[in-house]
Amino acid sequence: MTIPKLFLSAVVALAVGAAVAAFGGSGKVLSLLTQAVIYAVFAIGVGLLLRQNGMVSFGHALFFGTSGYAIGIILQMQLMPAEAAIILTLIAMGLIAFLMGLVMVRVPGVAFGMLTLAVGQMAFLTASRSRGVTGGADGMNVDWPSTLFGAPVSELVKPHTMFMVCWATLVVVMLVLALLLRSRFGSITEAVRDNEERARFIGIRTLAPRAAVYALSAMVVGLAGVLSALNTGFVSPENLHWSLSGVSLMMVVVGGYKVLWGPALGAVVYFLAKDILGDYANHWMAIFGVALITVIVFSPTGIAGALQRLVHGKKAAPAARASHGH
Amino acid sequence: MLTINLFNGLVYGALLIVMCSGLALIYGLRRVVNFAHGSLYMLGAYLGYSIAMRSNFWVALVAVPAIMALLGVLLDRYGFRLLQDRDPLSVVLVTFGLLLIIEDFVQTVWGKSNLSVPAPAALSTSIDLFGTPVPAYRLAVIAVGAGVALGLTLWLRYSKVGLFVRAASTDPTTTAMQGVNTDALSAGVVGLGTALAGLAGVVSAPFLSLSPSMSSDVIIDSFVVVVVGGLGSLSGAFIAAMGLGMVQALGAVYLPNAAVLLPFMLMVGILIWKPSGFAGSRT
Repeated sequence: MTIPKLFLSAVVALAVGAAVAAFGGSGKVLSLLTQAVIYAVFAIGVGLLLRQNGMVSFGHALFFGTSGYAIGIILQMQLMPAEAAIILTLIAMGLIAFLMGLVMVRVPGVAFGMLTLAVGQMAFLTASRSRGVTGGADGMNVDWPSTLFGAPVSELVKPHTMFMVCWATLVVVMLVLALLLRSRFGSITEAVRDNEERARFIGIRTLAPRAAVYALSAMVVGLAGVLSALNTGFVSPENLHWSLSGVSLMMVVVGGYKVLWGPALGAVVYFLAKDILGDYANHWMAIFGVALITVIVFSPTGIAGALQRLVHGKKAAPAARASHGH
Repeated sequence: MLTINLFNGLVYGALLIVMCSGLALIYGLRRVVNFAHGSLYMLGAYLGYSIAMRSNFWVALVAVPAIMALLGVLLDRYGFRLLQDRDPLSVVLVTFGLLLIIEDFVQTVWGKSNLSVPAPAALSTSIDLFGTPVPAYRLAVIAVGAGVALGLTLWLRYSKVGLFVRAASTDPTTTAMQGVNTDALSAGVVGLGTALAGLAGVVSAPFLSLSPSMSSDVIIDSFVVVVVGGLGSLSGAFIAAMGLGMVQALGAVYLPNAAVLLPFMLMVGILIWKPSGFAGSRT
């Protein structure tokens, strides 16, 4: 896709979002979609790590929950205006994740996933136990000021504006990532992912780019955490729990991580499926477990891969298979 | 106070040994990190509960590992064997899907409330240990852990099948070329690993209560153990399991606020020092 085309798709996507917000029906439908869009941002962050780095994180809820808590605590202590808190949180998230990444991405393969799980669980336990600061297992309210970036918060939290804010964030995140991955950064990280040793031979430092991808994915997930804190006005240890990381990973895999929009599709499918299941939602774990296994066994590139094969015909299939299995 | 804490550390370490030896065996042969291992442990504990309620604890102690072994063989035959050419991460995700299914199954059959299994009558006394009375049942748990560690070590080192297992863990292709039926071997080893998860479940039931969260508590600690010990290394896992039990026990006495975080800090520290674990050489 050329750069003008990318911008054009972003504008079209924004227009579609505006149409959905305007004519999308009841507040209930919109708030469901809003949730789906927030998790789409989350899943894109997790998918980015898998796509550009080949690493599976079982602990990205760490960044989702931490950003919400960070803002909640800053606002509670009235350390700075909310706008500054959001920006500072995201930057700090990126820096901390980069430093963590320098250590963590050196851990090979599946052990990396287990390490992320342990670090995430550490944050979960800390948040559940520090009653004084985080409200412990009960969670804490995020006291948003009356205006945010010049817009009244009471207006922002209305279903259609909230949806539009989240949708626009999603579109901007995807546009920025798409542009970034076309650049030299994208090529370097792909080279490192495909064969770290060869990348080193041609003179690429491999550790920093991998840590940078980790940091970038953490920032995207952190942004989703901010949106969630804005949407619900509430953070609890549930936002840090490993099952949330697992769900996000499921969205990534079911949606398909080979393309940028796959995880977002996975998130939307997840929420729609959960809503349609309704009465059977008590058994969502088993249903999604079966769905996850089915997708991995029969369509490792996820729904996005299956759609691409449908659109491009059989020609795309061998290419998809060849690029599989790094 | 200190004695009882150290003792409880040993008990938990022993339980982790039984759990982690299963994880390490399966990883060794199939290169699969079984995320469902904790759920299989939970399934074992609940099955043990049902059997113990209908007959007695000793029947459960024999029957549950047998049932779980069968389940493990099926899991290998219709799961891991069919997926062995896939990249390891997709197999990990399949086991994650399995985890969700088993958790749902357990919650549907046994409900979400806490259940408990009484210790068998023969072991519900207490024994004097260095002047501190300790429950005999917990002493038996330590014995089970030690027995599993010793039994597996001897089996792998001195039996012919053990030799095959070690060979196939190092290089499955060459081992198969030498005439070892690695598929049957893997089925057996995954069966054994799953049976050990079931055994850990039954054994833990009388001293930890049964609840839907029991699987995630143990699986996360088990992951810490196998990652710290080095993936696939049994002796590394044994040492790390005992170490984790001790760290938690001593942490509860000396650093009560940070006790739950200590295992993770230990893990991060060791991985910074040696990214493949202290006994691990493979990547």
